[in-house]
Amino acid sequence: MSLDDATRLAHDLKLRRLRRERNGRLMKHAFLIGVSCIMLYPLLWLLSASLKPENEIFGNIELWPSAFQFQNYTKGWHALPESFTIFYVNSTIVTVLSVIGNLLSCSFAAYAFARLRFTGRNFFFALMMMTLMIPYHVVLIPQYVQFLQLGWVDTYLPLVVPRFLASDTFFIFLMVQFFRQLPRELDEAAMIDGCSPFKIYWAIILPLSLPAMGTAAIFSFIWVWEDFLAPLIYLNDIKSYTVPLALRLFLDQEGQSAYGQMFAMSVLSLVPVVIFFVLFQKLIVRGIATSGMK
Amino acid sequence: MKRFIARNAPGYIFLLPWFLGFFLLALGPILASLYLSFTRYDMVNAPRWIGLGNYEYMFMRDRRFWKALEVTFHYVVLAVPARLVMALAVAMLLDKGLRSIGLYRAIFYLPSLLGASIAIAILWRQLFDANGVVNQALASLGIQGPEWLTNPDTSLYTLVVLAMWQFGSPMLIFLAGLRGIPRDLYEAAEIDGTPRWRQFTRITLPLLAPVIFFNLVLQTIDAFKTFSSAFIISNGTGAPADSMLFYTVYLFNEAFKFFRMGYASALAWVLLIIIAIFTAAAFLTSKYWVHYENERD
Amino acid sequence: MADFTRRDLLRTAGAAAAALSLAHAVPARAADRAIRLFWWGNPDRDKRTFEVIRSFQESHPGIQVSGETIGWSDYWTKMATQTAGRNMPDLVQMDYRYLFEYVRRGALKPLDDHIGKSLMIGTFDKAAVDGGRVDGKLYALNIGSNSQVMVYNAKAFEAAGVKPDIYAWTYDDYARVCEAVTAKSGGRMKGSDDLSLNIDMLEAWIRQNGREFYDADGKVAATVEDAATFWQYWAGLRKAGVVRDKNKTVLVSPPLSETGIVTGEAAIGQHWSNQLVGIQALMKDPIGAAMVPFMQNGKPGQFIKPSQFLSLSRDAKDVEAAMLLLNGWVTDPKLTAILGMERGIPCSPQVRAALKPSLKPVEALSIDFFQAIQDKVAPLPPPPPKGAGEVREAFTRIGTEVVLDRTSPRQAADMFIDEAGSILERAL
Repeated sequence: MSLDDATRLAHDLKLRRLRRERNGRLMKHAFLIGVSCIMLYPLLWLLSASLKPENEIFGNIELWPSAFQFQNYTKGWHALPESFTIFYVNSTIVTVLSVIGNLLSCSFAAYAFARLRFTGRNFFFALMMMTLMIPYHVVLIPQYVQFLQLGWVDTYLPLVVPRFLASDTFFIFLMVQFFRQLPRELDEAAMIDGCSPFKIYWAIILPLSLPAMGTAAIFSFIWVWEDFLAPLIYLNDIKSYTVPLALRLFLDQEGQSAYGQMFAMSVLSLVPVVIFFVLFQKLIVRGIATSGMK
Repeated sequence: MKRFIARNAPGYIFLLPWFLGFFLLALGPILASLYLSFTRYDMVNAPRWIGLGNYEYMFMRDRRFWKALEVTFHYVVLAVPARLVMALAVAMLLDKGLRSIGLYRAIFYLPSLLGASIAIAILWRQLFDANGVVNQALASLGIQGPEWLTNPDTSLYTLVVLAMWQFGSPMLIFLAGLRGIPRDLYEAAEIDGTPRWRQFTRITLPLLAPVIFFNLVLQTIDAFKTFSSAFIISNGTGAPADSMLFYTVYLFNEAFKFFRMGYASALAWVLLIIIAIFTAAAFLTSKYWVHYENERD
Repeated sequence: MADFTRRDLLRTAGAAAAALSLAHAVPARAADRAIRLFWWGNPDRDKRTFEVIRSFQESHPGIQVSGETIGWSDYWTKMATQTAGRNMPDLVQMDYRYLFEYVRRGALKPLDDHIGKSLMIGTFDKAAVDGGRVDGKLYALNIGSNSQVMVYNAKAFEAAGVKPDIYAWTYDDYARVCEAVTAKSGGRMKGSDDLSLNIDMLEAWIRQNGREFYDADGKVAATVEDAATFWQYWAGLRKAGVVRDKNKTVLVSPPLSETGIVTGEAAIGQHWSNQLVGIQALMKDPIGAAMVPFMQNGKPGQFIKPSQFLSLSRDAKDVEAAMLLLNGWVTDPKLTAILGMERGIPCSPQVRAALKPSLKPVEALSIDFFQAIQDKVAPLPPPPPKGAGEVREAFTRIGTEVVLDRTSPRQAADMFIDEAGSILERAL
């Protein structure tokens, strides 16, 4: 085999690989677009239902409304005794505070579980996992009684304070898994340099865990924003209702419901969540870029 | 003593918020529900101690309890692997150098945002209607589809499909995990001519193990506790013919529809023990397949 | 440290958090008396009710009323939680199905002592008021009456050339109408919804057989024969292909928009008289209202039932203020005008007369229907025992097996009556 042949072969191989990769990319895109259509269907359906005349929402598979009812949006905004402006403000307050609380308190706990040694670590970890397993509905009433005795019912305290006390243990576990992946040498080197555990947490662990923190922020925002059981139980005054709770005011099983308006408001209620998602998913991507982790 | 404090203080200080939350807010209600499980409690009158009565009834006489267990196990076995495989496959597709990944990621997350809303319930009835979209698609392939939602033999599968469709959260966690795998490992493997599937089994799987483990445990717990989707699609009853009688749906109805909070608490503790056994098993086996980078304990 | 209890600590934490103004604004307490009112609703009802509260507070400046509302499906979860916490609102809206569950457990206070003093309901229809009586005491004030109604598509009836006597038709007539409508539409529109899973229809059927589902002692009086013949009747219509598809039937309590009469898949459906307005709003064809069919013996099956009540909860503190609102609700012309017929037909003749001129045609239909059936209905049955709600669910569950043809009507009836008995026994 001559040298010439060898370069040609190498060239051929490279070309083939490039072609294979391009085809692979096209295939991937085709596949992803196909899947996207399936994934988008429910949203398109919801959007179309929010614009349809009431009697077309049910039993009519057609996505295109016969007439566009844009007034579902304008009327829906003011259909309830209080306008949705108030509900959005309420939801924003509760959600933003909860996300901050979750990120702070859960990353604290996760740092302890993942990186620090102390007596009883496994025991407390097991206790924490247990709170994840108990069906929520049976602690609802004891919890209500507890918050009632504290005089917290009909305020946002039962929704927000527990989150500053790491009540959403899902996030502790999530962060533990990611923190444990970081190289130990980092802590050890920092410790030798005289860094306090807090400094290590703040200056090393957190910046290296941006993908995990981004994920936690996104979930936390979505779940709190969409939560309706806790607001249902603890909020009495309609002026303090959150968006998901307000959405439950549209339907009357027996009498007249305003499905079109409810769907219109449901579509709008997704907007803040999608914005938050798009903003914070960058954290997941940027994580590696800035950390330079090898 | 001094050494004990010096050794433990940092850990306890970082755990302080959780300690406060757990011991002051969470523990009380949990113990209360344990106590209630030994009582007859209708939520109006004070609970009355009946010892093991609830547990006895559950295991000896309650046919619907067994039915609920059966439905839930069936679902867990089907939905958890299906959803995890789906989420991992999509996450890996999205992980590598495609443009407009952000867009796909958002799109794939959308169904999860809709959660278990009224909209999903109505949509599901339309999709899986005897003449619905699903059966029309099947008909074009020459397959005669069943009456998915109203046939007790198939209704559970519609919920499995829903679970697969809402794979957004495990997908996102997988993605975050994949991002943590150093690229140069793949580059080196590429240079060595290691085939793709080998890269997957030698690099991706082992390094992703902690995240896979997390998703497995959490998805299993969640699947056992599935409530909203089953509740809303079966109109709160587990219909048709108890084929969607998920454990927590049964528990909720016992508590809030039929005023048997004591019995519901007993149901909850039995579920807790079942979930705990599965989780403990996962943790025990994890020693053999989950390794944390540079961790020596 | 020792006397610094857990609760103190939480209090302090709470105060600190409140200082951060997390808590939403506490309503200005100009009024020194406060009561809470809790109802389930829809946007229209919520607006009316808040308007009533506003108007009431205007005329009673010393009383602060906080209105609390949520949709039906969440209402009972919240109610149970508040009951458990001994924090029930003073006045709560009650439904016929749940009333007995709450009364029998002691969560409500009787109103008898206030009648004629602060609650002026002497002129009200006696039968309608008595719907709120349990074991001889009035626990719930009727704020709207209701009766079962067979809603039919008037246009489809006309097209099929059927003109049944809607106040006296029999089950045989019913079947013939179903056949005619189905035949006329070429099977596109069936005669009727399949009502196999409708326990109100079963209860009517049993009543027409000369029994009640529950006797006065709260025992199951219905027989296997009752349930079996009921399911057989509907199985017959199903076999003849004149009722709606079984796959639609087994979807439990679908929204109004998915019921057969609204989607046009059936010409008759069973509903309640206060739903007529809602149904008509969803339909192009005009609707009519008929009675539940009769048996050959002519015994009536349906009765007039309170659709909604207001009850005084056991946790009510300012009973006097609550009575002022309750009395105003049913007698004050300003308030009754705001409420209209949205919650059902008022049981005060004066209020009905005052509302009459301003009614829409379909509202008039429900009033006319209501007047027409007054002397043709059965008396109010004895209140159901604890556990009746669970029996309803068992009925639907077992009935589903019949509709899907997985068991025979007779076997299912056996199973159902047996299960109803054991449910009641367990609920004691």
